[in-house]
Amino acid sequence: MIGMWEILQEHFVPFLNATGMTLRLTAVSLLLAMVLGLVVAFLKLSPIRALNWVAHVYIAVIRGTPLIVQLMFLYFGITNIVVLSSFWAGSLALAIHSGAYVAEIFRGAIQSIDKGQMEAARSLGVSHWKAMRLVILPQAFRRAVPPLGNQFIIGLKDSSLVAYLGVAELYGTALSAQAENFQPFETYMVAGLYYLVLVLIFTVVVQRLEARLDKANSGGKRDSRTRIA
Amino acid sequence: MGGSVIHVRGLHKHYGALHVLKGIDLDIEQSEVVVLIGPSGSGKSTLLRCLNFLEIAQEGTIELLGKSVDPRRDDLDKVREHVGMVFQHFNLFPHMTALENITMAPISVKNQSKEEARHAARDLLQRVGLADKEDSYPSQLSGGQQQRVAIARALAMNPDVMLFDEVTSALDPELVGEVLQVMQDLAKSGMTMIVVTHEMGFAREVADRAIMMDDGLIIEDATPETLFTAPSHERTQRFLSQVL
Repeated sequence: MIGMWEILQEHFVPFLNATGMTLRLTAVSLLLAMVLGLVVAFLKLSPIRALNWVAHVYIAVIRGTPLIVQLMFLYFGITNIVVLSSFWAGSLALAIHSGAYVAEIFRGAIQSIDKGQMEAARSLGVSHWKAMRLVILPQAFRRAVPPLGNQFIIGLKDSSLVAYLGVAELYGTALSAQAENFQPFETYMVAGLYYLVLVLIFTVVVQRLEARLDKANSGGKRDSRTRIA
Repeated sequence: MGGSVIHVRGLHKHYGALHVLKGIDLDIEQSEVVVLIGPSGSGKSTLLRCLNFLEIAQEGTIELLGKSVDPRRDDLDKVREHVGMVFQHFNLFPHMTALENITMAPISVKNQSKEEARHAARDLLQRVGLADKEDSYPSQLSGGQQQRVAIARALAMNPDVMLFDEVTSALDPELVGEVLQVMQDLAKSGMTMIVVTHEMGFAREVADRAIMMDDGLIIEDATPETLFTAPSHERTQRFLSQVL
């Protein structure tokens, strides 16, 4: 523990830069994961069997294999096809990983909206997709905030594995620092502290957001879904 | 009274093995107010939902305003603009204010300007006695108020016929009157209405016709006075003796 303060001081700037990199990786990958997750959620809810199947396979493969394997596989796969920096390759791989979990969150949230909401919109002459956009999704997003917050925390921590692609984010910086200072215990503890602080800040942000959304109003409750021609 | 608004022949609806509508013939004239009564499971709600194509009947024909509707070919969104519906559980959009609930469809479907839609919505809120509630969210309104907003929301599309599906069944007894009053005013204004209800008082006072359904069929169709005081069908007598 003696060396921790020294390491904190000595590596303050590199760790600060690394924190920025971790945040950028997390933000980019989770933003992409939200888009991907929403698309896959719709595939899974689609009445077209082939589309369901695509979503099922994607989610099964992502859930059924370790993230580090996916990262390496996708990194070498992606960089074989297009020239990408390790930052972008890593972000894409993380997005493809988180996307599967985000898809399940969105699907659950959409299905949890009372089917009367869709019926009411359709009865007014509103098309399925317009009703989805104006009526169902705003309520579903609100309901998805708590599980999404959770998934974002996981995504933030999972970004550490991108170190193995050579990205100098928090864990990668600790990895190279301890190879120089021969103080792995203290160095990793410092890295851990950074993650902990980031997660705690993020948790407070999500709690504030939830409280604000709760105050606005609340939605339906029956668990069913419908698709009307 | 004008021409035919709804013309139904031989309507059958199945849910899997369940045969819910077993050949419905129904004609509704312009400005007619028709109440549908009958025991639960008799198919009243299903019939209403077939009329705006929330459910698609497997057999039979439906003509709206003299035009036959083919659910496989016609744009049902366009058809539904002409048929307003009010639900038992209101189904207001909880993330929108009363005013936004009413303006959503006119703006997004009819491409009305925001100003135009808001102006019309305020008139409608006035009409249902809720002029002061335009900025309230559904969770801030009583059941009766929510249902009146739901009626205003359906009226905002200027439908040719309004369907009411047990709209007072989920309300506390003291809130039923205000909703029925709005419906009565609407009937007086000449709106064509089909009302599934257990409110026999309303049926007698407001309706031009009362239709008794049982087991997927219309078994009696008469003036409310006749149906309630001298029902010709034994099943109707039995049902009325249970609910009156």
